[in-house]
Amino acid sequence: MNGRKGTLIFWGVASLILFCLVVIGLFVEEAATVTDFSRTNLPPSLQYPFGTDWMGRDMFQRTLAGLSLSIRIGLLTAAVSAAVAFVLGLCAATLGSRVDACISWCIDWVMGIPHILLVMLISIACGRGFTGVVVGVALSHWTSLARLVRGEILQLRQAPYMLAAEKLGVSRLKQAGRHVMPHVLPQFITGLVLLFPHAILHEASVTFLGFGLSSEQPAIGVILSESMRYLTTGKWWLALFPGLSLVFVVVLFSLLGDGLRRWLDPASAHR
Amino acid sequence: MKLWKTKGIILFLATVLFMGCQGGNISPTDREGVIIAMGTTSEPEAGFDPAFGWGAGEHVHEPLIQSTLLVTNTDLTIGYDLATSYDVSEDGMTWTVKIRSDVRFTDGEKLTAEDVAFTYNTVKESSSVNDFTMLDYAEATDDTTVIFHMTRPFSIWPYTMAIVGIVPEHAYDSASYGSNPIGSGRYILKQWDRGQQVILEANPDYYGEAPIMKRVTILFMEEDAAFLAAKAGQVDVAYTSATYSDQTVTGYGLAAYDSVDNRGFNLPAIPRMEDEKGRTIGNDLTSDVRVRRAINIGIDRKEMIDNVLNGYGTPAYSVCDGMPWYNESGEVEYDPEEAAALLEEAGWILGEDGIRQRDGVRAELTLLYSNGDSVRQALAADFANQLEKLGIDCTLEGVGWDTAYDRALSTPLLWGWGAHTPMELYNIYHTMSAAGYAEYSPYANETVDSYMDQALATGDLEESYALWRDAQWDGTTGVTQDGDIPWVWLVNIDHLYWVRDGLTVAEQKIHPHGHGWSLVNNVDRWSWS
Repeated sequence: MNGRKGTLIFWGVASLILFCLVVIGLFVEEAATVTDFSRTNLPPSLQYPFGTDWMGRDMFQRTLAGLSLSIRIGLLTAAVSAAVAFVLGLCAATLGSRVDACISWCIDWVMGIPHILLVMLISIACGRGFTGVVVGVALSHWTSLARLVRGEILQLRQAPYMLAAEKLGVSRLKQAGRHVMPHVLPQFITGLVLLFPHAILHEASVTFLGFGLSSEQPAIGVILSESMRYLTTGKWWLALFPGLSLVFVVVLFSLLGDGLRRWLDPASAHR
Repeated sequence: MKLWKTKGIILFLATVLFMGCQGGNISPTDREGVIIAMGTTSEPEAGFDPAFGWGAGEHVHEPLIQSTLLVTNTDLTIGYDLATSYDVSEDGMTWTVKIRSDVRFTDGEKLTAEDVAFTYNTVKESSSVNDFTMLDYAEATDDTTVIFHMTRPFSIWPYTMAIVGIVPEHAYDSASYGSNPIGSGRYILKQWDRGQQVILEANPDYYGEAPIMKRVTILFMEEDAAFLAAKAGQVDVAYTSATYSDQTVTGYGLAAYDSVDNRGFNLPAIPRMEDEKGRTIGNDLTSDVRVRRAINIGIDRKEMIDNVLNGYGTPAYSVCDGMPWYNESGEVEYDPEEAAALLEEAGWILGEDGIRQRDGVRAELTLLYSNGDSVRQALAADFANQLEKLGIDCTLEGVGWDTAYDRALSTPLLWGWGAHTPMELYNIYHTMSAAGYAEYSPYANETVDSYMDQALATGDLEESYALWRDAQWDGTTGVTQDGDIPWVWLVNIDHLYWVRDGLTVAEQKIHPHGHGWSLVNNVDRWSWS
């Protein structure tokens, strides 16, 4: 088994885990919000692997539902961000220097504001909640990918085979489809996957700070901010397991992105 | 890398364990002073200026640094501070108050009726947190007499006179007074470190009984920090909540003080519609009085108190439980059968899924609570669980206060009220003349309105108490179970404090809403043994 095969297997397993998390989370969403005051503040046990909170909610189910929600929001926002990045990157690289200057200025401007601050501001402006978080995260994470796409295309346009194609009178559309797309796509997909961990973490942080999802949602950020209040009374399980699960998911996504990059990298084909 | 991770986890676990076992490190403190930990929201943002809410703000309490004309006694009747007598004219339009002549501000100047008139005219002009529209103007006729000219009769004016601290006309500048207050009260503001602490020292020239507690330090901290501060023995009194009530702190006792700090849901009493501002108001389910009555008796308040408040609370049946104007006829027994019968009578028949239906419509209710308040969230959750048993399907939703007020016009919201004035009844139940229904939740009843109008117009406080009681229930109409029940009251939350052994906290008035300065209303009478 070579490295590429191993990466491929890892990729399959990891995506399966994440997919299962999303599906299971959807199924337990209802059960995760059930409050039962006869089982409050129970430490982890076989019946409740992650314990229960002050309203008797099963933390295991809440964590699953929270992760599922986070991944779904991550998917949505990363997809929107990536689409925005691709379009703007493409425009900057192909529509002349004025458009380029304008878009580059926008990229610098958005990058100049700390991510979390920007997400908070946009979220508040959009009335918080689900819409606020999705718009906030989607509108603040496209910049680095847009810059990457722009750079790639600019570089590509100077490549000898592109110049040759242009001289031979190949239409712009055909150039884009035959030469540009295959070259940029791997970079783009890798960038997209690597957006996930950022999107998920920022969704969780902005919710943790109270500017994101509303407190009745089973979101990881909500779970973590609630748990802070109970840490001093020794209820460590409220923060530990959901926190670790979040780290697990984020690390998994990050490894997925890395694996994908290695796999798509032609130089590694013979390894 | 791996090693680092393992180390990190061990460190984390050790920290958790350490937090769990520390304590017992108690240092003896100053016997003439007391250190109190309060919530961060208790710090007066605009400083100690009555015109900007100090004492006379959203949460009322005695201003300590300033004197007030009157005070509320422990049974919430009216007593005297600066005033020696007060009178109201037959038509209720002028109040004449005589004040003491031996009072000096802490800068040595005499306190005269001019200062009193100046204070009231100033708060009327600038108070953004309290309503002073009933006052036209105040004038001093001589050194010890002040006359209040009213715009309308307002029989409960003495309750306002019990919270407005008197400021010196000669040393008042609205920009700087808040952080540099001069008063004639029991204490002097010695130091104020914004965001951290306030230090008060006894006023040596105080005209009344000299304070026993010479130095009062108030620290502002979050609840978990206050708990840890008590565990570490750094404070003498620390505010806490039911969340921490199952803990023990060596050297401290848990003190629970009765409050009228109630929690209750508004039940919009009109059918769903749109008002002229385009807001949705009214609720089709709760517009039926039988549904509201069923909810009121279908809720087991005792169970709620045990579940959510760990037993530290009392059932609430009105917004003013235990006040002199409270009508006890609003108290109800938990009766799920009767509640079910009322719902059936209203046409809501139990469906196969355990949820009631009427003409194919499911009985569904969204319940709002304010984001970030775990006690309210838990109360709302328990309320929802109990309503599910009655066959009403509930959905919880956390909201911010920026949208809560508008949303509450059509959707029950978990509110917290409770003040040392009957005006709260008026604010909640009285119709606003422009809109045609009450301010916070659509409801209107002319009889209830007229009792409250009469109560404000009458000259005698005792007589007004009776009218306030009639407004709640006069035998045929009112806002209680047999009346319109436009709000369902659930619990009064006990105010909990860790109190160091040996400290005697003087007898407390029933605490109003706001878990803060009320405790120290009489800190001058606290003592160490």
